[in-house]
Amino acid sequence: MKKMLTSTVILLSSLCLTTGAFAQTKEIRVLLANHPYGELLKTVIPEFEKQSGIKVNFESLQESQLTTKLTTEFATKSSSVDVFMTRPLQEGKMFNKNGWYEPLAKYDFSDYPKPVMSVASAGSTPYLVPLVTEWQVLYYRKDLFQAAGIAVPKTLVELEEAAKKLNSDAVAGIASRGKGAAAVTQLSSYVYNYGGLYLDKGVAVFDQPAAIDAIRYYGKLLGTYGPKGVTSMSWENIMPLFQAGKVAMWTDASVFYGQVVDPAKTQIPAANVGIADLPAGPKAQSPFIVTSWGIAVANQSKNKEAALKFLDWASSKDLAVKGMLANITMARSSVWKDPKVLEAVNPGLVSTRALAAEKGNAFDRPYMSAVGEARDQIGELIIESINSKGESAKLPEMAKAKAARVNELLKDAGEYGQP
Amino acid sequence: MKKNILHETLFYLVVIFISLMVLFPFLWMLSSSFKTQTDIIAWPPKLIFTPTLQNYEKVFGEQDFLKYFINSTVVGGLAVGLSLVLGLPAAYSISRFTQRKLALFILLARLMPGISFLMPWYIIFSRLNLMDTYVALVLSHMLIALPIVVWIMSSYFNSIPVELEESAMVDGATRQYAFWAIILPMSGPGIITSVTLSFIFSWNNFMFSQVLSMEKTRTLPIAVYNFVSYAEVDWGGVMAAAVAIMAPAIILTMIFQKFVVKGLTMGAVKG
Amino acid sequence: MRRPSYIEKYLPILFPLPAVIFIALLMIFPILYTLGLSFTNWNLTSGMPMSFVGLRNFGRVFAEPRFLDAVWRTLSFTFLAVFVEAVLGTVIALILNRTFIGKSLTKLLLLLPLVATPVAVGIVFNLFYDPTIGLANWALSSLGLPQGLWVSDANSVLVSLVIVDVWQWTPMITLIVLAGLAGLSEEPFEAARVDGATQWQVLRYVTIPMVMPTILTAVILRLIDALKTFDIIFAMTGGGPGYASETLNIMGFKYSFEYFRMGQASVILIALFFFVLLCSLGIMKLRSTSES
Repeated sequence: MKKMLTSTVILLSSLCLTTGAFAQTKEIRVLLANHPYGELLKTVIPEFEKQSGIKVNFESLQESQLTTKLTTEFATKSSSVDVFMTRPLQEGKMFNKNGWYEPLAKYDFSDYPKPVMSVASAGSTPYLVPLVTEWQVLYYRKDLFQAAGIAVPKTLVELEEAAKKLNSDAVAGIASRGKGAAAVTQLSSYVYNYGGLYLDKGVAVFDQPAAIDAIRYYGKLLGTYGPKGVTSMSWENIMPLFQAGKVAMWTDASVFYGQVVDPAKTQIPAANVGIADLPAGPKAQSPFIVTSWGIAVANQSKNKEAALKFLDWASSKDLAVKGMLANITMARSSVWKDPKVLEAVNPGLVSTRALAAEKGNAFDRPYMSAVGEARDQIGELIIESINSKGESAKLPEMAKAKAARVNELLKDAGEYGQP
Repeated sequence: MKKNILHETLFYLVVIFISLMVLFPFLWMLSSSFKTQTDIIAWPPKLIFTPTLQNYEKVFGEQDFLKYFINSTVVGGLAVGLSLVLGLPAAYSISRFTQRKLALFILLARLMPGISFLMPWYIIFSRLNLMDTYVALVLSHMLIALPIVVWIMSSYFNSIPVELEESAMVDGATRQYAFWAIILPMSGPGIITSVTLSFIFSWNNFMFSQVLSMEKTRTLPIAVYNFVSYAEVDWGGVMAAAVAIMAPAIILTMIFQKFVVKGLTMGAVKG
Repeated sequence: MRRPSYIEKYLPILFPLPAVIFIALLMIFPILYTLGLSFTNWNLTSGMPMSFVGLRNFGRVFAEPRFLDAVWRTLSFTFLAVFVEAVLGTVIALILNRTFIGKSLTKLLLLLPLVATPVAVGIVFNLFYDPTIGLANWALSSLGLPQGLWVSDANSVLVSLVIVDVWQWTPMITLIVLAGLAGLSEEPFEAARVDGATQWQVLRYVTIPMVMPTILTAVILRLIDALKTFDIIFAMTGGGPGYASETLNIMGFKYSFEYFRMGQASVILIALFFFVLLCSLGIMKLRSTSES
């Protein structure tokens, strides 16, 4: 027995030795997301290592696992992360509040448009560098439109008419996310187009008539012309349907464009897939255009100098151009003005971005620390509306209760009434 | 006679039906892993298709699958091995001295929801500078393996007659010697069962590995999610990865099948 | 017999000691940590310093309808799944309890679902259940049956998840019961036959009661894991649609890593722990009565 114990101890301690012992002075740990830009970074990291002499230990994770991991590491104050990719709208406010981001006072942010910067800073000091943007668009099937003899809808009224005409047993007229919390981002543009908002100056206002109308419209649209089981669908369920030709129209983020026209992934010839601006509502045409991913240095980092060097490199203009050439829609404005780059980017993306950049809204969800819980609250409204095809009489009452709950969350976080 | 044939046919039909129900998802997964993305989402489902190896090329080429495979093997192997070292004497003691409370205490490790371990363990292991080493993972997986080993082995020891070691002790052997030289050599099937089962549980563990592993020590179940990225699910890749993950566990089970069924059931019957 | 040595005398303590120390070392901090957190207001979204709030978290969580729903759902998922698995598993075992061609191959097949990685199983079944392009509805429609919404509908999601659980774990019960049947002694059966009992009577009054302790052992093992089911539900529905498949474990995860309400999450996890403990003790009691 004693022997067993000693051998265990020896085994364990020999295992410990394999780590840490050979730590170099210049070595950083980077957490990337399973995202095309993360993939791109991975391929060029060796170049960075060569030119800087800094060894980069990187690791890439699916987005929710990334949040779980970052939260565990930061909240227990024992993280070894130096640089990480982050979702400004989903976790930015909360991470910043807990002091997990290193302020980036010296970074040159002149290449980023103002709305983009609104989610990268609190007050005057930015804490993350925006990487990738996305905006809401309408994907549609040109062939089905032609066969039905209808034009691309310009307004939400026309959108509904088109959905009605295109809807059949074999093909759903329109799809958009219906899975509660996941649908909140996609509903946002509809709310804006109806003249509503989720939060106004730090107060929940999605129980106002404009927002309710938008929620009803969204519910009617999806409940009547949407695919079966839409209330459990996020993009990962809708995309295969669209690729299989089971959906005539789909409103979602621009980021999916590459895959719906990739012949290796879809059964619909690329020539039959169109992309258009999200139709205008009664009050506005203001699709969301958000910074979906950014990159930041961890406040707990012990190698800040090297970390900042990596951050500068990973968010550099050179790499932004590379990203654009790989059809990743980058946040820097200069790359969108470079004719050479634009030549390589899909024209549909360029034109839909133009509208979004001009009139769009920089938020696709309530921008607050407790966004996870707030999304679930609004998600309940979406599901109620879809299940009742937008008719539910309970909706205003429910919305009031949900808004009150979100206000409570805002108050708990000290964000109530804060612009 | 006629009735008998009818009876037999019916019996085999039922057996075939049960086997098909069990096998069906595997067959579907296997066939999908050889399909292109467009064939996977085809409607009606394509029963006849041109097989492609591209998904497996992705799994073994682009993804560092071999590394994850080695990690899973090392973590599972060490966790199970050390669990045997700690668990066999404990199981013996529970069996021979009927220590029911002790058995319950060890079962406690299985009752706690896994999530409640994540943060505290992270604190401990990072303070001890054990992150991204196998130690953190091995220790956490031991907590999965140990109760299985103890549970199965204590029942197994129950089934070995006490007279065996008593007669040895009458001859002057110590009890620990009798355990070592008489009982353990007889426990092959039980040990193989507990090894296989606890290895499978360790192999499939997702939650602990998610937080306690880093790039160098990442295990296979986490790697499945490499095919689920922001804005893209590579269904073919997921299917191929799933097949590749399950294959070693299935092969292990096939090799030890006889023992596993015997040991599993022996433990349960007497337990 | 010679006098037992010092080590031998304390063998009942020395043998289990390393295992006990190991488990205690690994568990004591998490237990204290979770328990401690449950009395604090620690909430990462508030940015407030952690402070002691006594039993307030317990009050808030227990009063939350969503929590009560989750409790109910956890229990119904578990009991439904384990009940079906126990009955089906036993029936299959009774059918297979004879010699036939291909018996060992069948047993091998039965082992396979146990081996399947739950995360992968979840992802695979998700595609299988898709109402529009999934194989499940295709099979139904080609048989001329009405199609289902499976995990996409609040009313059918739990049952659909139970089906996956049943697929994966019924075979384990079958295997255990099969062995239990193999281990039964012949005498009671002969006695019953001599008394002229029908096949059904033998089954009802001899076989089932004799194999009951084995069934219950298998049930305990399943019950513990079913109450804590996480991977499959998380990979398939994440608790949705709405909260229709949110069990305690999923809710605990969401409170921890989506809402960042660490204090309240701890309360949920502690509650789950007690449910698991109570259920396992209950079945253990049942087993010791059925044994005697």
